[in-house]
Amino acid sequence: MGSFISNLILASVRMASPLIFLSLAELYSQRAGLVNIGIEGIAAIGSLTGFLISLITGNPLLGVLAGALAGIAVNMIFAYATISLCAEQIVYGMAINIFAPALAAFIYRVYFGSGSELVQAGLMGSLKSMLGIKSNNFLVNLFLDQTPMVYLAYILIIVTAIYFTRTKSGLNYKAVGEYPKAAATLGINVIGIKYLSCVICGALAGIGGAYLTTCYSKTYVDGNVAGRGFIALAAVIFGRWSSGGVLIACLFFGFCDALQIRLQLVNNTLPYQFFQMIPYVATIVVLAAIGAKKAGPKSSGQPYRKEER
Amino acid sequence: MNRKLIAMVVTGAMIASMAPAIADDTRTVAMICDSSISDGGWGMACYNAMIDAAEKCGWETMYSDSIAQSAYYDTIVSYCDLDVDMIYAPGNQYTDAVLQAAEEYPDIAFALLNGGADTPEKAANGNVSSLLPNATQIGWIAGALAGLMTDSGTIAFIGGMELDTTRAKYAGYGEAAAFVAGENGKTITLLDPVYSGDFSASDKGLEFAKAMMDQGADVFFGDASAVDSGARQAIDEANEANGEITVYDIAQPADLLGQNPCVIGSQVTDNSVLIELSMKAVEDGNFGGETLFGTLENGVLSAGEVNTELVPEDVQAAYADYIQQMIDGTFMGGAAETEAE
Repeated sequence: MGSFISNLILASVRMASPLIFLSLAELYSQRAGLVNIGIEGIAAIGSLTGFLISLITGNPLLGVLAGALAGIAVNMIFAYATISLCAEQIVYGMAINIFAPALAAFIYRVYFGSGSELVQAGLMGSLKSMLGIKSNNFLVNLFLDQTPMVYLAYILIIVTAIYFTRTKSGLNYKAVGEYPKAAATLGINVIGIKYLSCVICGALAGIGGAYLTTCYSKTYVDGNVAGRGFIALAAVIFGRWSSGGVLIACLFFGFCDALQIRLQLVNNTLPYQFFQMIPYVATIVVLAAIGAKKAGPKSSGQPYRKEER
Repeated sequence: MNRKLIAMVVTGAMIASMAPAIADDTRTVAMICDSSISDGGWGMACYNAMIDAAEKCGWETMYSDSIAQSAYYDTIVSYCDLDVDMIYAPGNQYTDAVLQAAEEYPDIAFALLNGGADTPEKAANGNVSSLLPNATQIGWIAGALAGLMTDSGTIAFIGGMELDTTRAKYAGYGEAAAFVAGENGKTITLLDPVYSGDFSASDKGLEFAKAMMDQGADVFFGDASAVDSGARQAIDEANEANGEITVYDIAQPADLLGQNPCVIGSQVTDNSVLIELSMKAVEDGNFGGETLFGTLENGVLSAGEVNTELVPEDVQAAYADYIQQMIDGTFMGGAAETEAE
């Protein structure tokens, strides 16, 4: 039983890590008043770019960097359309979800041709392996058997919390998502911050996607983001638009996913689909319970028109 | 005037470029697949089988891979509209889409790999054939090696979707492993099957394998395409952490020896034979309404090469003996042969 729980915790942390990057991406976007439902698509292009660059250079870290840049590039489409053209954010987010994975599949096919060989890239090593530690102790595995990207994810959670609550720049950033016109009267560059949010969002979503192919799985498969971009949307709401809340939400969703895998193993009386529903049922239940009390940025999803009265 | 002239020239050029295609009577087969053709497993093997068969018969090939379940029918119909001669659908999960399209396109042949034995009867126009490798024998081939190689006595199976063929492979895997282990003084525990729900989730394969290794599994077999690749990655990582290879994987449906260090052998299905027979039937005008079985006896199924570094010589010999028994119909005293058929 002890082994079951400790392995469940390890798996939860493992499965929560990409979600943290994606959820932070959405958090930065929504805090500037931009509801970006295209995280799934941005992560898809980040995943492919990370895989390709990691494969070509043999350096997963460069893959992550490339994933971030690809994420920014794709998200600039969303930025231009929704900030400069004041287009509907949901529509463009959905457009990215359709366009970006298709682009990723296209690039993969162009690069590798129609060959059917399994292509595997090297993964980033864990701190435990870098330090040459052999122990299989639970705490050693929990704290040290993680790639540098996992530590980065948790550092970003802390940095984000400090930024939004303790810095003037962070408060200005939040003001853009709450009352952009009021923020503008205070001399805050609303358009600039909204574009900045798209850069941060694209980078983090791209990193989240690249994590999947540089730290998690050696292969790239179309559809490997597997709905994590949408779970990130739920995690931001679940987390009440705060980085600490987002962390708890991601760990919760990671736990649910890890649990359904293990429950399939210990119970053969119920159909496996029942267990696969667990993360999604949990999402619905949590959103139903928490979503009633809206605490998100007030101008979320609304276009900002400078001249409008 | 200039515009009209340009339009006429362009139209003429288009017609001229199409002319060879229209005149060309080369036959075409189109494959649809919900996993990637470069998944290192099922998709790859099925695609290569089509290419091999097409080369032998002089056919052209087309394919769409990584398609969603909701797009099965639309993708098939798109190819039908291109007037291909045969649709090749490698998986039981395409049955409904194939039957629907086959009813609407009576002049096109539909070859359904792993379709049910009774599926051709359900086709209104008689233009569907099932290519049916014997799933129980597939399980046996892997199970015999698993029974011989397990040290912990616990073996595992990972599925993509809960298909009839997948269940049959699981059952065959378990019974062969139990029989072989019993003959060698071991007891087998086969963990309950797990399913990822799709064939692309390599990360799920990785997590499944980790969870199953936690339960003591030391030999894995799967029927889940890219999910199997994820499982093999987890097994390799565990072996690397242990400093030696003590957890093994048996691959399918192609010979994947060497793809991952943990692979000790493969169950090989030569689907190209069945596809070639289907192509010949199309050429002869007598395609459809039948089930082409693939078995150890007719050579469609076989055991791939065994990893000689990990599998001791005596085990290799014993395994070869069991495979021969399966071919001869004497495996497990021949009692299970009827069931496998």
